[in-house]
Amino acid sequence: MNTSTAVALNKQVAATRRKRFSVTKAIVFLVLGILFVTQVYPLLWLLLYSLKSNEEILSGSFFALPQSPQWGNYSSALEGNYFRYLLNSIFVTSVTMITVIILSSLCAYAISRFRWRFGGAVMVVFLIGMMIPMQATLLPLMIIFKNMHILNTHLSIILPYVAFSMPIAIFILSGFMKTIPHEIEESAVVDGAGIGRIFSSIILPISVPPVMTVCILTFINIWNEYILAATFISSEKLKTLPFGVNSFVSQYSVNYGAIGAFLVLGALPVIIIYFLLADKITQGMVAGAVKG
Amino acid sequence: MNVLKVSRWTIAAFVLPCLIIYIGIVFVPILVSMYSGMLDWNGIGESTFVGLANFKKLLFHDSVFWPSVRRTLMFAVFSMAEIPIALLVAILLKRYVRKPNFLVSSYFLPVILSVVVVGQLWKTIYNPASMGGMLNQILDAVGLHSWGRAWLTDPSVAMYSLYFVALWQYLGYHTLIQFTGISNVPDDVYEAARIDGAEGFKADWHITFPLIVPIFKISIVLAFIGSLQAFDMIMVMTGGGPAHATDVISTHMYNMSFTSMKYGYGSSIAAFLVVLCLAATFCINFIFNKLEKRYS
Repeated sequence: MNTSTAVALNKQVAATRRKRFSVTKAIVFLVLGILFVTQVYPLLWLLLYSLKSNEEILSGSFFALPQSPQWGNYSSALEGNYFRYLLNSIFVTSVTMITVIILSSLCAYAISRFRWRFGGAVMVVFLIGMMIPMQATLLPLMIIFKNMHILNTHLSIILPYVAFSMPIAIFILSGFMKTIPHEIEESAVVDGAGIGRIFSSIILPISVPPVMTVCILTFINIWNEYILAATFISSEKLKTLPFGVNSFVSQYSVNYGAIGAFLVLGALPVIIIYFLLADKITQGMVAGAVKG
Repeated sequence: MNVLKVSRWTIAAFVLPCLIIYIGIVFVPILVSMYSGMLDWNGIGESTFVGLANFKKLLFHDSVFWPSVRRTLMFAVFSMAEIPIALLVAILLKRYVRKPNFLVSSYFLPVILSVVVVGQLWKTIYNPASMGGMLNQILDAVGLHSWGRAWLTDPSVAMYSLYFVALWQYLGYHTLIQFTGISNVPDDVYEAARIDGAEGFKADWHITFPLIVPIFKISIVLAFIGSLQAFDMIMVMTGGGPAHATDVISTHMYNMSFTSMKYGYGSSIAAFLVVLCLAATFCINFIFNKLEKRYS
């Protein structure tokens, strides 16, 4: 009884408040709505564009739905090496992610838990490196890789991808590992576990949440990376998805619908993953931004 | 604080794989490019050591360089100007929308897309109306035909078209960061402020703002460093053209080294970029340390 009157009262208060702010609220929703349209409509437009025939695209009816969906655009896009690019991207991204996780969790553990003199210094090295722009290493790396004869292999992009993903990974992981209570390791040592055992069966399992964050950040960055791949890779069969999309689009510059279809296909994997994991991804990207 | 005492070999096994790859891929190339910035070299044949000649030429005799520095800095200015807008959006979302998650994730959508998809998408939007470009078609449809233009090939607007795409892509990122920051301010702080008579934007000015200074710093570093590195989007959309009208520092470096084959000269630009990035980060950190001290 009591609670229900309270609820009713609250509702009344809320109702008057809502009325009072209705004009402000309308403006606010208008602004947020316009923003929604500008952020999302271009993507929707691309989807419509990819289903139109050349005549429809050129006729200027940018708002109209396609008269009959031109699935042909997609089949001509798929005739390009879409699946080859997709597989390459999956391969490169997953190898990078696994390597980054293994190497940087080892290093983060040493920095955050071992008693040794240079822990802080190592961390500083990584922090400084975070500010170095990747493009500045583009030319020297190209020469170095050429001399190592690994230019135009997947290794030549995986190595820099791993290296440039490490600082943020170490930063996030060591930040987390510092908060693990020391008693856990002490009791493990008493029980006779070696350092490798402690790491693999205690530390890694508790660190799953930050590891997921690192995975998400690495995935988004590496999956979308273009310029390194475009500089170091030249064979068609090794191209990753962004590079493949760009070369397809530059080649077929008159078949507008097929270009649109290829762009949609290029965006599709990451959009699907975003729909499934939107909250995780946004949280991860915020955690990643905190690196500054 | 750190308690585990382990042998030297264990430390080496944990740290070295990471450190070796990192130093080999990040620091060694930087040092190499500092050195090759002093060479006259096309990347393949013989090289001659010319000392600081490249840097002298870069700073005093390169008609493309300083405009490209200016555009890089303008890029940073525009990106930072976007942050207050993102903050406003975040405040509105927090205050007026009951379930803001859907809107926040929609605004964020462009951030996760590859720069190739975003760049090519906007290239298509900027196309002339006769090639199906949406922007010019919209302008035609609302009777502003005379406003239409070749957005990416007209030197007077091309750079602004590029700024806009970057702002469009990253608005969601800044909104999300500010939104998370605001959400972490405990509700009772506002409750207390209301009792003291501060509500609405007044409360924001006195409470939200000081409390999210650290979050502001994150956004600014992100915007600044991001714009110094703005590169792939420009390469995808214009490649620095028409006639260097959209060249920034990094595209200038790329074109010099890979198109004009002036490897040594390109390296000197790369060295300049590294120094600029480090200096900018230190400046931002310095300013914000002062700000945070004042507010806490």
